[in-house]
Amino acid sequence: MRIAVDNSLCEAHGQCGVVDYDLFPLDDDGFSAVGPSREVPAGEEATAELGVASCPARALRVLP
Amino acid sequence: MTVDLTAPAASADPYAVFRSLRDTDPVHWSEAHRAWLITRYDDVSDAFRNKAFSNDRVRPVLARRKEPSAASDVLGLLAGWMVVTDPPEHTRLRRLAAGAFKGQRIAVMGEQITAIVDRLLSAFLEGDGAQDLISEVAYPLPAIVIATMLGAPPADRDRFREWSDELALVAFGTGGAARADRHQRALRGLREMDAYFHTLVDHRRRALGDDMLSALMARDGDDLLSDDELVAMCALLLFAGHETTTNSIANATLALLRHPDQLDRLRADPDLIGPAVEELLRFDGPIKVLNRWVVAETEVRGKRISPGERVHLVLASANRDPMRFDDPDTLDLGRNPNPHIAFGKGIHACIGAQLARMETRIAVSRIVSRMPGLALAEEPVWKDVLASRAMDRLVVRHS
Ligand code: HEM
Ligand code: SF4
Repeated sequence: MRIAVDNSLCEAHGQCGVVDYDLFPLDDDGFSAVGPSREVPAGEEATAELGVASCPARALRVLP
Repeated sequence: MTVDLTAPAASADPYAVFRSLRDTDPVHWSEAHRAWLITRYDDVSDAFRNKAFSNDRVRPVLARRKEPSAASDVLGLLAGWMVVTDPPEHTRLRRLAAGAFKGQRIAVMGEQITAIVDRLLSAFLEGDGAQDLISEVAYPLPAIVIATMLGAPPADRDRFREWSDELALVAFGTGGAARADRHQRALRGLREMDAYFHTLVDHRRRALGDDMLSALMARDGDDLLSDDELVAMCALLLFAGHETTTNSIANATLALLRHPDQLDRLRADPDLIGPAVEELLRFDGPIKVLNRWVVAETEVRGKRISPGERVHLVLASANRDPMRFDDPDTLDLGRNPNPHIAFGKGIHACIGAQLARMETRIAVSRIVSRMPGLALAEEPVWKDVLASRAMDRLVVRHS
C-alpha cells in the first residue's frame, strides 16, 4: 500500500500526524511531508487509512 | 471602537461580535485585551505559521521573577509544557509524545470510554427532574479517561478532577486579592499532584504496562523524556484534555437541543456521528481564542504588529467565516468537507484530537440515544472568559 499528499491541498491541519507521526510526517511548519508516493509498512494499512480519512482538507489519498 | 470579548453580552453571543469584526476590522487592536484580535479564517491560518508569533510565554515570566516563590516550582512545571514552547524544544517534546497518541492506541480505548460514559449516564438516568449534565457526565468523563489512560488506580481518579481545576486556576492566572487564597490552595494541591505523578512514573519505570504513561517513556533514537518531563506531560494532558472535552460535549449537546431538526437527523442516522461531531466543534467549539506572543515585527492585513504585543487567534470566529464555509451560521451535521480549526493548526495542532473526538462521539451518541426525552430545563449561562466557550451548568430533563 502507498499513500500520497497533494501539496496544493494540504493546509497544515496536522490531523494526519496526530494519527501516526511516522506514517504521516510533517515538515517544520506542520505541512505534510508524505510526498507523492510513500510506502506503508505491512500491518499498518488500517492506521494509514485512518490517517488519510482524518484529513479535513482531503489532501491525502491511498494510491491505487 | 474597542471590543471586549469578556463582556457579558459578548460571552452570551460572541458570534455577533465576531461577524462585525470580520466585516469591519478583521485585525482589531483591542484596548480591553491589550491584544490584536485576528478573526478571519485565512488570517488565523497564516498566523499559525508566522514565526513572529510565539507560544513561549511561561519561561519569560519565570525568568523575570527575582525571588523564588511558592509559585516558582509550579510555574517551572508549566514552563516545560510543549504547548508553551517553540521549536526546537517543541519539536523534541512533540516527537517524544507522538507515539503515545498513535491511532491504534486511541482506537482501543473505545470500549473503555463507552463503559465509563454508560456508567455515568445510568446514574444520571436514575435521577429525576432537572439535573446538570455537565457536573454529572461531561465534567467527570474526561478526567476519568485521562486517569485511566495514565494507568492511575480507580480510587485516585477523583483527585485528577481537583488537580485539573487547580491547574486551570494557576495556568490562566487569576490575580486579585480575593483569589489569592484560592491560588495558594491550588499551589498546595499542585505540589501534591507533582509528588503523585512522580510516584506513578517511578512505578511505571520499574514495570512498563500498556498504558499511555508507559508509551511516553519510549525512546526516540537515543533521546527520552526525563522523570520531570514525564510529570509535566501528565499534568499537561490533564490540563489540555479535561475542560476542553467537557465543553465539547456540553456545547455539542446544547447545539443539538437548539436545532431539533439536526437532533432528529442524528437519531435517525447514528452513523452520522463522525461528521456531526466535526460540525458541532466548528459551530460552537470549546476554544474561542488562542494566544500568541509577538517576538518579531510583522504585518497582518496591513496592520503593523510589534514585539511585546499579543495576538488572539479567534478560532471560533474563523470557524464561522463565510469566506471559508457556506452558510457558516447554519448547523449542518453532514457538512463535508469541514476544515474547521477547533483543534488549531500547524505544529501545535491538538495532539489529543483523536481521543477528544472519540470521547465526544461516544458521549453525544449515548446521550441522544439513551435519553429520547432530552430537553433543556433552564436557560444556560455562558462564562465570561476569553479563552473558552463554557457554560457553568447544562440543566436538562430526560423524561
Ligand atoms: C474537544 C476537545 C479538545 C479541543 C477543542 C482541543 C483543542 C486544542 C487546540 C486548539 C490546541 C492548540 C493550542 C495552541 O496552538 O496553542 C491543542 C493543543 C493540545 N492539546 Fe488539545 N484539545 C482538546 C482535547 C485534548 C485532549 C483530550 C488532549 C489529551 C489528553 C489534548 C492535549 C493537547 C496537548 C498536549 C496540546 C499541545 C500540543 C502542542 O503544543 O504541540 N487536547 N488542543
Ligand atoms: S491532515 Fe491533511 S491538511 Fe493536515 S497536515 Fe495532514 S495532509 Fe495536510
